[in-house]
This record gives sequence, C-alpha cells and structure tokens, in this order.
Amino acid sequence: MRGHRRWLIIVGVLVLVVVGFVFLRGPTPDIRIKPETLYSVGMVNITNTLVTSWVVVALMITLVFLASRRWELVPRGVQNVLEFIIESFYNLVVGIVGEKNGRRFFPVVATMFFFIVFANWFSLFPIFNVIGLGEEAEEGVVMQKVDIGPLPVTYVGLSSLSQMKGRTIDAEDPEAAQKVEEEKEKGNVVGEIRPFLRGINTDLNMPLGLAIMSAIFVEFWGISTLGLSTYGSKFFNFGGLLQGMRKLSVGQIFRGGVDAFVGFLELASETVRLVSFTFRLFGNMFAGEVVILMFTFLIPLVFTLPFYGLELFVGLIQAFIFALLTLVFGMMAVSHGSHPDAEEVEAETHHTQTTEDRPVNPEQ
Amino acid sequence: MEPIFLGGFVGGLKALGINLPSLLAQLINFTILLVVLSVFAYKPAMRLLDERRRRIQEGLEAAEQAKQQAAQAGVEVQAQLERARQEGQAVIGQAQQIAARIQEEAHQQARQDAEALLTRARSEIQLERDSAIADLRREFAGLTIEAAEKVIGQSLDRQAHRRLIEEVLAESTLGGNGDQKAPRSEPSS
Repeated sequence: MRGHRRWLIIVGVLVLVVVGFVFLRGPTPDIRIKPETLYSVGMVNITNTLVTSWVVVALMITLVFLASRRWELVPRGVQNVLEFIIESFYNLVVGIVGEKNGRRFFPVVATMFFFIVFANWFSLFPIFNVIGLGEEAEEGVVMQKVDIGPLPVTYVGLSSLSQMKGRTIDAEDPEAAQKVEEEKEKGNVVGEIRPFLRGINTDLNMPLGLAIMSAIFVEFWGISTLGLSTYGSKFFNFGGLLQGMRKLSVGQIFRGGVDAFVGFLELASETVRLVSFTFRLFGNMFAGEVVILMFTFLIPLVFTLPFYGLELFVGLIQAFIFALLTLVFGMMAVSHGSHPDAEEVEAETHHTQTTEDRPVNPEQ
Repeated sequence: MEPIFLGGFVGGLKALGINLPSLLAQLINFTILLVVLSVFAYKPAMRLLDERRRRIQEGLEAAEQAKQQAAQAGVEVQAQLERARQEGQAVIGQAQQIAARIQEEAHQQARQDAEALLTRARSEIQLERDSAIADLRREFAGLTIEAAEKVIGQSLDRQAHRRLIEEVLAESTLGGNGDQKAPRSEPSS
C-alpha cells in the first residue's frame, strides 16, 4: 500500500514537470543589470526598483503602525510577533557589542536587517518581473494586455502546445515578422516588458546606498565616541614620522613610516569595504533572481521550488551578514585604541554572566 | 590620463545602472524607514522591554524578600513555641510545688490534730482515773470502818474513826504508794 502511494507521488510529480514544461514555460528571460525605467519625470527616471523600494518601505511602515497602535506591557497578536523579532535581534546585538554600544547601534543595524530581509523575501512573490509596461518591438516576448484603471498593464503570456519553446519571437527567425503580425492580430503585444516590481537589491543603487549608510554610521559612531582627532589618527598617523624626523632617528622614522602606511591601508580598507558591501549583496540577490527566472523558463513546476527555498535562506543570510558586518565595523570603530572601552565591555559581559548565574545559586 | 580613468569609472558605473538620483532616492527611502522604525517600533519596544525587565527584577526581589520574611517568621514562631513550652513547664513545676506544700501542710495539720486529740484524751483519762481513785478511796474508807466496827464489835465514834482513817490514808497517799496500791487492790476487791 505504502509502495503504491510512493509510486503515485512519483508519477504525479513527473506529470507536473511535464505539464509545466509543455504549457507553463515562460519566455526566454531577458536579464539586465540596469533596472528598467517605468516613467521619466523631468531628469529623474523612476525605475522599477525605486517603485519596489517605495512599496517595501510603505508596507513595513504600515505593518509597524498596525502593530504599534497601542503598545502594551502584555503583548498581543501582531505586536507580540514584532516585539519578539525586535527583542531577539536586540539580544543578539547586545550579545555582540555589549549593552552600551548595543543601544546606540541597534536602530541602524536593525533597520538594515529588517529592510533587506523584507525586501528580499518580498521580491520572491510571483508578481515580480512578469507584470509591467509593455513596449512594442519587432521581436521579443509575446505579452497579453489588460487595463487596470488608468494603468495599461501587460503580462507575459504563457507557452502553448504549438510553441513548446515559450513564446519568444527571435530576430534571427526568418518568419519573425510574420509571427509578430499573427500575434498582433490576436490582440497580443510583442516586445519588451518593463516590470513594475523588481527586487530592490538587484539594482546596484540600493546596495550601494545601504553600504554608504553603513559607512556613514560607522564613521559617525567612531568620531562621536573617540573624537575627531583620535578617530582621524587611525587613518592619518603621521605623529611618529614627524617625531622621528625631528629627532633624526632612522629607527623612529621607519616605525613612523610603517604607522603612516598602516593608516593609509586602513583608509583604503574603508573604501574597499564599501565596494565589498555593495557587490556582496547585489551579487547574491541578482544571481538569485537570475536562477529563479532561468528555472521558471526551463522547468516551471516542481524544480523551481528548491530554489525558492534557497532564495529565502540567501535573502535572510545576506541581510544578516550586512547588518552584522555593519555592527562589527561599528564596534571596531568605537573601540579603536581605547582600552577602557574594551575593559568596560568585558566587565559588562562578566556582569551579565554573574547575573545569569545568580538565579542558579539558590537551587544548588 | 586621470580624466580618462575617471571617465571610464563613471562610464562603468553608468553601465551598471548606478546614477545619482536613484542612489539619493534609495538613501532617502532608507532614512525614512530608519526614522519611522526608530520612533514607532524600536523606541516603544525598548521602553517596554526595559519596563518588563524592571518589573521582573522587582518581582524577583519581592519574592526574595517574602522568602526571607517567611523564614524570619518561622524562626519567630519556633522561638515563641519554645518560650511557651518553657513557661508551661515552669507553671507545672510551680503547681507541683504548691501541691506538695499543701499536702505537707495537710499532713502537719492532721498530725497536730491527732496529737491534740491524744493529749486531751490522755488528760481526760487522767482526770477520770483521779476521780475514780478518789471515789474508791472514799468507799474503801467507809468499808474499812464498817469492817473495823464489825471486828471490834462495838460502835466507835464514827466521826473519830473516820478522821483517823482519813489521816492514815492521807499519809499513805502522800507517800505515793497509795496510787500503786489502789489499782492492785481494785481487782482484788
């Protein structure tokens, strides 16, 4: 009986794969690094990633307002979930950088984390990349047209029995013009699609913006904690060199030179950090989008699912990495060369340990 | 050299889709989100968290205090019990002492009473015996006179005789022998 059921499942899966392969294949994915411009207002292009970014921000703000209309000491419903998430992340942050720094770093780091993870997961919805504005051309994707209110919406058509390769009309096809005519007669549109929604991190502007934010806050924390001169001496460390020149001691000049060079390296690493932040997030999210598009094109049913799971995981991990790296860099900027701070953190962790130990003692 | 490099750099950025308006727009988006979340999510959540932590701390402290108080109360109750037992013990001891004293007194009283009774009885007996002896003596004198009359055959002057005998008897009584003679003579008569 059980073996019977297993066979049924295998056959069902195979049927799904075949049906997807025959009827539900998407058009050949049109992969671009640049986000598509939906409208142009003066000099400013409103791209689909910008629109998505607005949608994400609006959704998150709505969610927060729904949850926080009335904060209560004994949480209920959405507030409970939101509070649990915030509290967990807060405890994580405090566990890494201590209570005092954690309070300061938390809003920025948490916003980065929640924003990135929300946007990444949101971009897995199937409304992404297939619904948008159509642009007629001599070749391209076959699309169907609908009007939703004032918005002329076009969506990507599905493949049919007659055209197993998905409904894309190639320029190299000798019958291209004829096929385009046929589709136009059916009321379809041939050309390119500019989707309304596109994952915000698949546009370099967003990761770059986040990286710039991260850098700004890291520098701000460093300067506000250590003071401009102390923090600046981390990068422009010529004190030893000048002293050596005044004393005409070769050893000291050499040591000063090494210090100055290390400072230069620090400065360079700050810049490189910006680039690595940007491209790590962009690369991961863009690759994820491409993988999902490709699998939707190749085998739409069943085999796309594992990649959705993978993308859920990658989206979370990337958000986590981004936020925690910002946190760690902030910690480094704050604790540079000041031993009292490090001791304070140590004392704090020790303190929390002892407070954690305390409730155990009476039981022993 | 440098402008070409810079131009290439900017061209590369453009090819990647990076442009200033989009970048600024995304920065603004993030800033808005940061501000809103800070004000409406993190701040109240942190406040609640602190408040809750404080309450839990207070609750723990209160529990600790209550435990201490309970322990103290237990000790006090124990002490009071101990004191009450000691007091009870003392009261019982006192009662026993009092009982013993009363018993002793009753014993004493009884003995005294008995003694007094005995002495009185003795003195009464003495008195009775004395009067009995006196009676006996008187009778004995009469008898003796009668006997003497009979023996002599002639009636003497009764008065003179009696006086005579009385004198004789008084002499014997004063000598102390009369007492010893009398009981011995009583059973014979």
